[in-house]
Amino acid sequence: MVDTRPFLPVSSHAGSDPTGPSENRRKPMKLQLSIFFVLLTVGFFAALLTSNNGSDNGFVKENEHGSLASPSSEKQLRPVSRGPAVGVSEKSNRLFAKDNENQLAYPWNNSMLSWQRTAFHFQPEKNWMNDPNGPLFYKGWYHFFYQYNPHAAVWGDIVWGHAVSKDLIHWLHLPLAMVADQWYDKNGVWTGSATILPDGKVVMLYTGSTTENVQVQNLAYPADHSDPLLINWVKYSGNPVLVPPPGILDKDFRDPTTAWLTSEGKWRITIGSKINKTGIALVYDTKDFINYELLDGVLHAVPRTGMWECVDFFPVSKTEENGLDTSVNGPSVKHVVKASLDDDRHDYYSIGTYHEKNGTWIPDEPKIDVGIGLRYDYGIYYAAKTFYDQNKNRRVLWGWIGESDSEAADMQKGWASVQSIPRTILFDKKIGTHLLQWPVEEIESLRLKSYEFNQVKVQAGSVVPLDVGPATQLDIIAEFEIDKEALEKTTGSNVTFSCSSSGGTIERGALGPFGLLVLADDSLSEQTPVYFYIAKGSDGKLKTFFCNDQSRSSVASDVNKRIYGNLVPVLEGEKLSLRVLVDHSIVESFAQGGRTVITSRVYPTKAIYGAAKLFLFNNATEASVSASLRIWQMNSAFIRPYPNNKESQ
Amino acid sequence: MTKIISLFILEAVFCFTFFTVSYSDINLIQTTCKKTPFYDLCVLTLKSDPRSSTADVSGLARIVADSVKAKAIATLNQISALLKSVKDPTLEKALEGCIVSYNTIIQADIPVAIDAIEKNNPKFAVQSAADAGNEAQACENSFAEKPSNSPIFSGNKAVHDLSVVLQSIASLLL
Repeated sequence: MVDTRPFLPVSSHAGSDPTGPSENRRKPMKLQLSIFFVLLTVGFFAALLTSNNGSDNGFVKENEHGSLASPSSEKQLRPVSRGPAVGVSEKSNRLFAKDNENQLAYPWNNSMLSWQRTAFHFQPEKNWMNDPNGPLFYKGWYHFFYQYNPHAAVWGDIVWGHAVSKDLIHWLHLPLAMVADQWYDKNGVWTGSATILPDGKVVMLYTGSTTENVQVQNLAYPADHSDPLLINWVKYSGNPVLVPPPGILDKDFRDPTTAWLTSEGKWRITIGSKINKTGIALVYDTKDFINYELLDGVLHAVPRTGMWECVDFFPVSKTEENGLDTSVNGPSVKHVVKASLDDDRHDYYSIGTYHEKNGTWIPDEPKIDVGIGLRYDYGIYYAAKTFYDQNKNRRVLWGWIGESDSEAADMQKGWASVQSIPRTILFDKKIGTHLLQWPVEEIESLRLKSYEFNQVKVQAGSVVPLDVGPATQLDIIAEFEIDKEALEKTTGSNVTFSCSSSGGTIERGALGPFGLLVLADDSLSEQTPVYFYIAKGSDGKLKTFFCNDQSRSSVASDVNKRIYGNLVPVLEGEKLSLRVLVDHSIVESFAQGGRTVITSRVYPTKAIYGAAKLFLFNNATEASVSASLRIWQMNSAFIRPYPNNKESQ
Repeated sequence: MTKIISLFILEAVFCFTFFTVSYSDINLIQTTCKKTPFYDLCVLTLKSDPRSSTADVSGLARIVADSVKAKAIATLNQISALLKSVKDPTLEKALEGCIVSYNTIIQADIPVAIDAIEKNNPKFAVQSAADAGNEAQACENSFAEKPSNSPIFSGNKAVHDLSVVLQSIASLLL
């Protein structure tokens, strides 16, 4: 590898010099110096030759991290203007109110920022939160732990926050459950999961980042098992119980799962990792949560998916409408493997078969394997984790919803991130490849006044206001029927559609987009469409897409303006159905009973407080739609510190 | 005579070491910078920091993070100086907004990025770096003299571009 050419042959002067003694001394000096400079020059040229003066042919991976991923162009510093709005009639112009020139760089005042706080989504009183940790139901209380920074509205100094609830909706904050007070978690008390033992006791496994930044797994348990609030926790004196095994890097070993029983009566867990760029899930068996044996092979691996964070592994019933304890197995059961991909900040799942004897799992459809197929949520949603709720016999899913505004705004408002409303998970029997997610039924206890709209006709290219009073805390259930004649008449084409690469709702198709405009002001200068788009292929087959368009959600220029969404399978005879939870700066949308879900964060400057309105819209060119809706005003969940607790956060 | 030979050998070893060490660092710097959209800026920034000669990719990311912070501080000073003598209220508002952006870069984005890289949780470094670039862009966007550049265009551009470089390098650590 090293070129030794630079060392040119050098002649050395030995012997005396006829010019005299003083010059005798000077000549060797001159010689040394000249040799030195020759070698240096040659070395310089050799370095030049071997360095590639490459051009700007580098690239940035398509990047959906964080708020606004920067494309790699110098022009990025200029404001990007989008083309003129497309419209036909007077009514459709209203939908496309001019907005581009009104992009504001620093619109935020305290009124706008304080509006952003949610009324019924879990969030701590202030500062930064990320992954859900160790959810469980214990002695009458639902427990929720979470990654928390006690000092700032940005990630750092991570410890475990804690809250409890009787119904997964009304939360009460408790003191921090675990802090970074041991060498094995000094640099981070990271994500973990709870396991409830047959005798009802709880153990918690979590990842610690040691003083040397090595990722290890630690055991913790409640200090007092008779305390239903599980306020104090004890870390096992022999921690860590697991360190990175051979072949696994110190930085690729985190987020242990809830354990499940094997047929031999041992406990089994899985931990995500990677080997080069192949995402994997390691499997360990244990009898006591202290000593572990690493199984040969892995639960599963998928090339080119990168690091698997927050792996989750759980059974779902093929036949029953209830959840299953994590240890359940059998012929009427399928198993789900889920991973959060570090590379793209999305949560992926796949349904398959678990082979208990060798601790492996095979996907039913390799084309939609973990990391390359279905996502829990096509918006901003990460680090999700399920638990078996033995109280109501269901499997419940938590997911972290980050911010998609600027960190400057987060610092100003003093907080960042919320959790999704917990969702039940069921196997979608009709489709077979999908899971169904649905907000837990307890959320209905927040419903106040309701409004009903029956068969509202929305002509192609029009907008219909829905008068529901204040429109920032809503639960909306809607059904859409599209004009059948237009469906049949429309000529199909080969053009492929995707929500994210489309022009949003200003891009009109024959059969879409149509749906709801949430958090919209009267002039529609700010609007967040949640909608369907039906595309007809040249073979006559219909494909339905479900999207959430943020491109005009705010005139502020420093918020995410992407369009989220995906295909949603619609079966013959099914109406198009939609449920939307609007809660200030978060919108959670569920299509076809939760077959495809999108969560987004919205930061309007005008469509806030009393100025936020709700509309139906139809921007298709050919088809009219008719919509039936039930809409409820939603109460606050009054999430607050546990009463009489002096140590609340 | 032996003195001459030993001196010569010493020099040969010196140049040899100098050459081999710089050859292998250049390789890591080059391959890393090729994966960013601003190759020349990346190489220049890394080479001008002596730490780069012994740094791994994490270390290179750290060097870029420090450079973003330094450029941000310099730009913040520029903004403060302009604010002292500003008369136009629109310009004043833009400059004040930029102060917020630059404070965010210096007090939040870069410290979080450095912390995340050190703690081997690089996705937070990627996000913070992206945010730093966006803050610089928000600052540039806030000046009314579009389409011409703001009075602190070169500062904004430097911070923005370096943040993108940081984002790219941090992505390599995922």
